[in-house]
Amino acid sequence: MSRVAMLIDESICMACRGCQVACKQWNDLPAEETTQRGTYENPPDRSAVTWQLVRFREHVQGDSVQWLFLTEGCFHCGNPACVEVCPTGALKQDPDLGIVTVETDLCNGCGYCTQFCPFGIPRLDTDVLTGEGKAFKCTMCQDRVSNGLTPACVKTCPAGAMDFGDREAMLAKGHARVEELKQAGFPNANLYGEHEMGGLGRLYVLKERPSLYGLPENPQYPVMANLWQGLLQPLGALAFGAAAVGVLGFWVIARRNIPMEEVE
Amino acid sequence: MIGNRVHAVQEAGEGGAIRIRWIPKYSAMERVFHWGHTVTFLLLAMTGMILFFPFLRPLARGDGGQLIRLVHRGAAIGYGALPLMYIILEPRRAWMSLKSVFKVSRYDVEWVKGMIPYYMFGRHEAMAPQDRFNTGEKLNAVVIILGSIVFAATGLVMWFGKGLVPIGLFQLMVVLHDLAMIVTVSMFIVHLYLAVVHPLMWAGLVSMRFGVTSAAYAQEHHALWYYGPERAKEIYEAQKAEAESEKE
Repeated sequence: MSRVAMLIDESICMACRGCQVACKQWNDLPAEETTQRGTYENPPDRSAVTWQLVRFREHVQGDSVQWLFLTEGCFHCGNPACVEVCPTGALKQDPDLGIVTVETDLCNGCGYCTQFCPFGIPRLDTDVLTGEGKAFKCTMCQDRVSNGLTPACVKTCPAGAMDFGDREAMLAKGHARVEELKQAGFPNANLYGEHEMGGLGRLYVLKERPSLYGLPENPQYPVMANLWQGLLQPLGALAFGAAAVGVLGFWVIARRNIPMEEVE
Repeated sequence: MIGNRVHAVQEAGEGGAIRIRWIPKYSAMERVFHWGHTVTFLLLAMTGMILFFPFLRPLARGDGGQLIRLVHRGAAIGYGALPLMYIILEPRRAWMSLKSVFKVSRYDVEWVKGMIPYYMFGRHEAMAPQDRFNTGEKLNAVVIILGSIVFAATGLVMWFGKGLVPIGLFQLMVVLHDLAMIVTVSMFIVHLYLAVVHPLMWAGLVSMRFGVTSAAYAQEHHALWYYGPERAKEIYEAQKAEAESEKE
């Protein structure tokens, strides 16, 4: 199978949050206690037990208010920084489908993935003092997908805003929909995720600029991840090797040249 | 004049046995600090490297990985507490050590020049007089002190700042933490060699263990400390002149 993607049409989404509930149901995640914050957006944030969340944003334009919805979850980057910085290999990218998952048994709770993701997706369920915990995030229902089903959220979406399939097909559909929107009076309509971070596995059809939805306009692979994995690790190995070989050579020369019988 | 030849302060005791005059060098607190720091440093380096090097990945996984992270945190508390204990319990000695470690003079430059011939070939015609710590020991201390400050600052952010500080800052902390590790562990390898393996350097290990050093060793290796700056300079000049005249 080739790389898969979800296509989420935010111009169709009516923010029923069925996807949120379906995600919890399929993945057996508990509900969270919450408070009334004067918004339908609920719970307040994604967490270790809320992997998908519909954001409600109010965009004021002149005297009219536009309500922008965004179904937040893991983007399944083509070039995922979380996978590169994970010290255990718990985070991995399916070589065929491109789905990025966390293997909970391997995770040691270090939380580097939460700090290197340019979208802030993985969430840690952790004890701050001991650091014990695990990281969690959307798995694109890898279990369902690899058995020929669509992700639970896609399956449940009553508005038909969510689609799933071969990434190339999703891109074509997305582009076609963006053209439609442009002609229907949304000149800023765009498809988000075609090239970002090696191409995303979660594609959005947006009516407005990504920043109005709270998305980074131009997400970048963290330079520090490159520096760390690409430079510091070889440098570390080199430095320790050089120091060890250096002192060994030093010792051989010193042994040969220093008459030990004179050392008292 | 090689190594630790005892030539000045040996006194023939009863039956002609050699008696060595021991003089105090390190307080008990200083030795506890040093060895406590050695143990915690090794623990920190070993547990830290498991998260650093990809080939150690199997050890970082799951519950074992959590234990390793817990040990790292526990050791970090000890590593940070020891210097604080030293500063609180022996503030004057701590200040004295700190001052002497960061003090640089022309003798340090000369020590660096004479280092290779001496440590590699045992040539010891005229080594520049050294204070309570020689230049190499000072260099080690400076690297470890500065490295530890970086470790503490970045480590605290990594421990308690997750989710509170911007991710860009957190990422920088991880990189600096690792950089400090590379520098200090490289220094540690050299320090371990000079302190334990090098054929001439047994005396440092003895004084770090028992807190004393022989007067003869101090005269030869820490003249600045033993004699004071003026007398040490006189002796050094005389030694240099002697070495010159031997050459001619």
